[in-house]
Amino acid sequence: MKGSSDAELISAVLAGDIEAFSGLIRRYQDTCARFAVRMLGSRVDADDALQSAFMRAFRGLRSCRDPERFGGWLYQIVVNECRTYASRQRRRELRFTPATNAIERAVAPSTEVESESDVSWHIEHALGMLPADQREAFLLKYVEELTYDEMAGITGVSVSALKMRVKRACDGLRDLLEGVYHG
Amino acid sequence: MAENYDEGAVDKNDAFVERVAARLRTPEHVHPSFEKRVMEKVLAEGTALYPKRSLSGSWWRTERVFRLTPLTGLALAAGIAAVIAVSSVAVGARISARSQGTSRAAASVRADTVQLVRFVFVDPRAERVELVGDFNEWARGSTQLKRSGAPGVWAVSVPLSPGRHEYAFIINGSRWVADPLAVKSSDDFGTESSVIRVGPAGNSAT
Repeated sequence: MKGSSDAELISAVLAGDIEAFSGLIRRYQDTCARFAVRMLGSRVDADDALQSAFMRAFRGLRSCRDPERFGGWLYQIVVNECRTYASRQRRRELRFTPATNAIERAVAPSTEVESESDVSWHIEHALGMLPADQREAFLLKYVEELTYDEMAGITGVSVSALKMRVKRACDGLRDLLEGVYHG
Repeated sequence: MAENYDEGAVDKNDAFVERVAARLRTPEHVHPSFEKRVMEKVLAEGTALYPKRSLSGSWWRTERVFRLTPLTGLALAAGIAAVIAVSSVAVGARISARSQGTSRAAASVRADTVQLVRFVFVDPRAERVELVGDFNEWARGSTQLKRSGAPGVWAVSVPLSPGRHEYAFIINGSRWVADPLAVKSSDDFGTESSVIRVGPAGNSAT
């Protein structure tokens, strides 16, 4: 089935060729992985969320009415699944990490940034400090480079609300990373 | 809290944002075992969800004698509906098997009873009309409506199992149209389709 279109693979699965679903996994797993890892800040949670997302997609394959848009349909499921996992993470943090300031202290960059990997570390941790809705909006806009209309289609949030979330995310990152980029 | 946005508040050329985003755009890869793990779950559930089928063995291709409810008046109703360009009508008709004589056949008929539902669509400007729905896995090109009597009237009869079905029409290969007279349903992208409920054999579709 290598080289088959999404629609052909979906049609094969619906006709009982279950193995054909592996073609869809291979095609989209890494594309979705970047968003999930950045959104959840944990490869373990991202792996779990992606597994759930692919299983949801498999179970609901019949409801994918436009197989040519499978990628967008799957991405929407991934975003929703990451929201669920982000919410679980938040509950976990509330239970096990009462001293939020400790995280802030750990994330707050020193005035001297030693290496490139330090910069990436600070950025990823600053991203993790943002509220989930702002983090999601920032990632969709600037990392996945979607248009606001595409983002609205995926998230179900209005364009103006998304723009506000992106703006707040940018402000938040600027504050948190002030030392890294020296303003 | 209401979220309002000032269009001028975001500097689209913000170099800081771009530098941060560039770092986050580096690719990520799933664990090498990811596909295998997902496929194990998929295969465990898959057969029940999507049983193997072949076109020649499809249940709707098996020989049956259709006893249709007379459709007199349907074309007239559709013609009136042509004022609003789009309409569909569904009526039920009992299907019975040819080999009613044996108990085995009769049992299989009871388990496999479907109703023949007639979909009528009216649009004098249409060149081609297709019906898609969960009953044909939303596959384009699988169920074409044919011109039926009055100009602009398209129709097809489809055997449906009892229960809830979603459907829509595709006009000229591109325009997706939900039935304006039926209950609506939306998918995750907000695409509207229509809902039909087919009762047990002997009852009309609604």
